[in-house]
Amino acid sequence: MEFMSTYYGFFLSGAGNTLIITFFTIILGTISGIILALMRISNKKVLNILSVSYVEFIRGTPLLVQIFLIFYGLPILGITIPDIELLGGDFSRFVSGIIALSINSSAYISEIIRAGIQSINKGQMEASRSLGLGYYASMKLVILPQAFKNVLPALGNEVVTIIKGSSIISVIGIPELMYKADTIRGITYKPFLPLIIAAIIYFIMTFTMSNIIRKIEIKMES
Amino acid sequence: MINVKELHKSYGEVEVLKGISQYIKRGDVVVIIGPSGSGKSTFLRCLNKLETINYGDILFKDRSIYLKQDDIDLFRQKVGMVFQNFNLFPHLNVYENITLAPSYIKKLPSKDLQELAKNLLEKVGLSDKINSYPSALSGGQKQRIAIARALAMEPEVLLFDEPTSALDPEMVGEVLQVMKDLTKEGITMIVVTHEMGFAREVADRVIFMDQGKILEDSSPQELFSNPKHPRTKEFLAKIL
Repeated sequence: MEFMSTYYGFFLSGAGNTLIITFFTIILGTISGIILALMRISNKKVLNILSVSYVEFIRGTPLLVQIFLIFYGLPILGITIPDIELLGGDFSRFVSGIIALSINSSAYISEIIRAGIQSINKGQMEASRSLGLGYYASMKLVILPQAFKNVLPALGNEVVTIIKGSSIISVIGIPELMYKADTIRGITYKPFLPLIIAAIIYFIMTFTMSNIIRKIEIKMES
Repeated sequence: MINVKELHKSYGEVEVLKGISQYIKRGDVVVIIGPSGSGKSTFLRCLNKLETINYGDILFKDRSIYLKQDDIDLFRQKVGMVFQNFNLFPHLNVYENITLAPSYIKKLPSKDLQELAKNLLEKVGLSDKINSYPSALSGGQKQRIAIARALAMEPEVLLFDEPTSALDPEMVGEVLQVMKDLTKEGITMIVVTHEMGFAREVADRVIFMDQGKILEDSSPQELFSNPKHPRTKEFLAKIL
């Protein structure tokens, strides 16, 4: 009890940061995932090859390596993220963490969305085009809304994966939940308690997310 | 209005259209009949560029539809299409299905869109279904909505690709009735169908196709009562 009253603020801010990171990763990952999926199904060979190579490379290399590559690699390439006084002064770390996670998830999301697009009968595209709507308008108004609905369960899984995967970016010192738990472990020399609390909080977040997505699914079914 | 010249189309090694030439006048109702695999649907789909061609040309109002600089979407707005499998958008209700294109392309205000949907639904006799989703409609109703949707951009030509072939027999009549009503409005119609009664009643011209060629092209009276080509005779004997 005394432990919790001393450290609950740590867990709370850690969990908050995890949610912030997850939120931005989902947004960025989905946008780039859609672009990658459209490149993949486009009839321009160059775009196909670019998309396939990117997706295969990202899926074939560990997330941890990608995180380090972004964190140490961006400054070497001359890309520095300004350290704005935001999110506790760790803005540049946050941004590289979110970029790394987004790059990683975009590869998986693009495959999910591609499968979704290809699950739609090609008559839908033909009907839309024959009304005089262009390719991208048809994608936006007719194909993608249906594709999203079809792949919602898979996208839900990906969200859960992102929440859990975000724990890995603790290695570059982003004060999210896992990092905070580890900090408390260091302070108190108690390894078990902070980690089990972190695990429970992760579980609450993923479980809630799964339920929200299931609710959306049921609502879209009707 | 539409001038088709020496159209050739192959899928790989198989040539499905072997030199189709046709002139279709404004306001004509042309019915294309023929056995499965005769190329009649492919020919129809070429007319709004859903299929590429290998040789030949199609002129729409004296202008080739294959000119690179022309906007294909603009052309397709003038050529509506009704499909065998309806292809209604299942995530949109009837109102949204009908108004999707006019709303997005013409940016009509909501008042005009409602007026448009109301008129079109009246035309196909489904005013009470304006808020229904396609999944709640019967096959015949779906096809009537699909016709209303195809009319929403006020096309000059309407293409029908076997519009009643996927329907239960008792629903064929309601769709054909809507199509018959349309012929009175003077819109140019090209219809691929197996409904000989429809062809006989409203067609200005009936075309018989077999193996990628037009074998016969005449008035319905002439074609049904006095077919010239032996393949036409054979085909009609089988289905009538």
